[in-house]
Amino acid sequence: MSFLIPCPNCGKRSVYEFRFGSEYKKRPSPNQPQEAWTEYSYMKRNEAGLQKEWWFHRAGCRQWFLAVRDTVTNEVHETLFPRDESPRSNTPSPQPSPSRDAPA
Amino acid sequence: MKTFYFDGKPYTAEANDTIASALYRSGVRVFSRSFKYHRPRGLLCAAGKCPNCLVDVDGTPNVRACTQQVCSGDVVTHQNASPSLKHDILSVAGLVDWLMPIGFYYKTFTHPAAWKLVEPWIRRAAGLGVVKHPVLKNYDDVVEATKGYRYEHVNLHAEKAIVGGGPAGMLEALNAAGEGLDVVLVDDQPELGGNLRYRKKVQNPQGNPLDAQKLREQIAATPNIRVLNNTSCFGLYEGNLLGMLHKTRRGGDHVEQLIKLRAGQITVATGCFEVPLVFKNNDLPGIMLSTAVQRLLNQHRIKVAESAVVVSAEEEGGEVAADMKHAGVSIAAVVHPSEVVAANGRGQVRAIQTSDKTIPCELIVICGLMLPEAGLLSQGGAVVVWDADLDSYAPQSLPSGLSVVGDATGKAFTIPRVTHSSDLLPKEGLDSGRPKSFVCYCEDVTSKDLCNGIEEGFDHIQTLKRYSTATMGPCQGKMCHLATAAVRSKVKGETLAETGRTTSRPPNPSVSLGALAGRKLHTLKRTPLHRKHEEHDAVWVELGHWKRARYYKAGPDEKSEKEYVQEEYRNVRDKVGLIDVSTLGKLEVKGADAGSLLDKIYTNKLSTLREGRMRYSVICDDTATILDDGTVSRLAEDHFFITTTTGNIDFVQQWMEWWKAGTDWSVHITNVTGGFGAINVAGPHARDVLSQLTDCDLNTEAFPYMACREAVVAEIPCRLLRIGFTGETGWEIHFPAECGEHLWDAVMQSGEAFGIRPFGVEAQRTLRLEKMHVIVSADTDATSNPYGAELEFAVKLDKEDFIGKPALMRLNNSALHEKLIGFEMQTSTVPGEGAMLVHEGRPAGRVTSSRHSAVKGKPIGLAWIAAELAQQGRAIDIQSDGHTLKAVLTTEVFYDPEGSRVRT
Repeated sequence: MSFLIPCPNCGKRSVYEFRFGSEYKKRPSPNQPQEAWTEYSYMKRNEAGLQKEWWFHRAGCRQWFLAVRDTVTNEVHETLFPRDESPRSNTPSPQPSPSRDAPA
Repeated sequence: MKTFYFDGKPYTAEANDTIASALYRSGVRVFSRSFKYHRPRGLLCAAGKCPNCLVDVDGTPNVRACTQQVCSGDVVTHQNASPSLKHDILSVAGLVDWLMPIGFYYKTFTHPAAWKLVEPWIRRAAGLGVVKHPVLKNYDDVVEATKGYRYEHVNLHAEKAIVGGGPAGMLEALNAAGEGLDVVLVDDQPELGGNLRYRKKVQNPQGNPLDAQKLREQIAATPNIRVLNNTSCFGLYEGNLLGMLHKTRRGGDHVEQLIKLRAGQITVATGCFEVPLVFKNNDLPGIMLSTAVQRLLNQHRIKVAESAVVVSAEEEGGEVAADMKHAGVSIAAVVHPSEVVAANGRGQVRAIQTSDKTIPCELIVICGLMLPEAGLLSQGGAVVVWDADLDSYAPQSLPSGLSVVGDATGKAFTIPRVTHSSDLLPKEGLDSGRPKSFVCYCEDVTSKDLCNGIEEGFDHIQTLKRYSTATMGPCQGKMCHLATAAVRSKVKGETLAETGRTTSRPPNPSVSLGALAGRKLHTLKRTPLHRKHEEHDAVWVELGHWKRARYYKAGPDEKSEKEYVQEEYRNVRDKVGLIDVSTLGKLEVKGADAGSLLDKIYTNKLSTLREGRMRYSVICDDTATILDDGTVSRLAEDHFFITTTTGNIDFVQQWMEWWKAGTDWSVHITNVTGGFGAINVAGPHARDVLSQLTDCDLNTEAFPYMACREAVVAEIPCRLLRIGFTGETGWEIHFPAECGEHLWDAVMQSGEAFGIRPFGVEAQRTLRLEKMHVIVSADTDATSNPYGAELEFAVKLDKEDFIGKPALMRLNNSALHEKLIGFEMQTSTVPGEGAMLVHEGRPAGRVTSSRHSAVKGKPIGLAWIAAELAQQGRAIDIQSDGHTLKAVLTTEVFYDPEGSRVRT
């Protein structure tokens, strides 16, 4: 494994500078049924092909970001900070708060 | 002149000699004994491809003598022969070859016991070099075993990397540099030139002469070409990463640099190599490839023999014969490859046998087939196939960023292709046994073995390889791949293209484990108080990367560890002690939304924490598994100070950052572990000791248990946390790391009147165990949740959402599988950590912590046990070290269960 990841902050770097987080998943809200939580906590899609993932630039800017990686070729097609994708508020709201996409 | 030793005898070497050329010049002809039959083997390729000259150099086994430059004083010894290279008793193996047919292991060792019985004998009889230090138990062993060796890692980048410093590589480098690219040119020889170094007149395909010296000078004058000599490329990995090994000497030391070169484009100019022909006794010393002879003649100025037979498709024997004649070697005959039947001789060539005559000779020069060195190309994603028109393997479908030039393309560039694949195998007798016709020199596989293997059904090139082990030895198929495929093609009546190829995998050539491991560095972290522990004769323990005091050798008399620990323990319970807890992970969380973030991360409620107060808190994941614990102190409305367990600080910081990512929370997380040191002053006199050093009111009314203050202690601005890990009144003092020694001295001085003394990790472990305080990752594992671990008090389910909430809610409403519980032993034996709890003859749990307790006067501990058995007073058996010990479970804290001591 020696592919390159274009960190959205630092540019192209060796994969050894990074920590893999997990597949990108929507975190259910607390009142969703157990099935949703089991799916979220234990099931991995392990896609053969394009997969959206969390990565952390451990030996660089120490930022978490999202990467779209082809798991077959290890080519990273796109990286972005989550805030650039869909900024969302975490201020309490009367509705169940929009669930965070989060580490599993 | 350099002097070195081979099997104890001194030899001299000239300036550019390799070990092999120096030995050959001095008359050495046998360099090794073969893997299985212990047949004598001499120089074959002299180019670092074949296995015939593997020797041990200064304790490093399997060094190729033909590419290793001589260094004065080198101690070279032979491998795989006993008692000597000349007389090897195991050469009888050749006579009992019928005992060892192809697939010997599969056929013979069908019963596990049989293998165990003979393995030690086989290991001694078959094989290559011997590793001098096979077992390395600790860091000191590694240092000892690698004495005289230095291993380094180097990272390089290039716009273009060119592998191979022959004519094609040099021309390509000049071209690329002319286009303005930053070029790295890699070559495994001490000097650029490739075949120009050992051939006299070389032309490019257009017929223009090539001058190595001129090219070298041009390259040296080009600033954007960097040349790496003595550097072999062992693998091409994804993302155009080249793995390379640079070997050199520094002082007397062997230096091996592992170079990782990341390149925008890679051009492979690895050229081609010569492979031998298959005939009877084709492995006798004195049979050499033509390029090997040219290297010895032209590069090392050695007259290789008085007379020789040249096996060549060219009349007059072509280029090599001309070079030999020029050097004064008489050519006894030139034999066409298709006419060779056998070589005669024992231990050395005496004659060559053709279809119609026998010609005496001391040297047979084989003009073999030229094959492209295409391993890196196939690793890089190219497809290497047999091209019948070129009569060679050829790389195709190269991915972008990878290209090939010169003889590595399969097409002749500077090296003429004289011998054809149709001449590789003998006309007949492929399947006859003796004398042996070798296909694979590394593993002693004969053409008969391959025929038998195919007959037994292993007739695919891949299965034939695995069954016969042909192509699996040190040469990794260089010498034998084509011959193996040719035997298979001939027997099956298929073409070489249909037979296909086995896969070329890195590393090739081989890389030492030392080079992969890199420098012998050992990460070690010292606390700001390290020197103070040294002054107190600390006995050390390494926890993670940290060096901590296990206990101190206090007083003039030598005592046992148990006694020292016991004294330290007593001193905390009766008087006052101090311990260095600088290794705790420390985080600052600041910002308007700091409370919201911590509410999300921790199971406790922290947004409601009042300023100046502190809460013990636990982090879980969404499956309710405990990840970490520690204290969270609120220093100001928007400022929290957090401690984490020693080994978990990076994880916790990344975890918090992760959950922060993508939110619009205004919060900053800073790791201040190195910035702050910390001590814990604990014991009945802790307040007396500290009140002399600070104006801060330490009385319980003003500074209660679980409160925190910022205050000046001994003139140093500190953070004081009143906690009770030891079960006694105590303060954890966090101070700027650089002030640590001053603070330590001040506390020790102030505490002198009260009998203060430092205590180590060992005493602390006992103190906390008597209070049943859980240590995350010692008492918990990847299956532990806060309810089972008796940490329910730190879970607040009335928060809107936090990590682990749904799983914790489920756990709260259902029965637990396991619980953490205390136990007291009925015996004086302390059960080992990890010992099994047994109930009615069945496993029921495991011990996580155990120590002798002075308060209870017997061993105590913590253990996980099936929840239905977790009852106060239940008798239980503990199996430890083969003994069954009696114990009683208890839910009551062993020492000061009311907790009155920590609160006063």
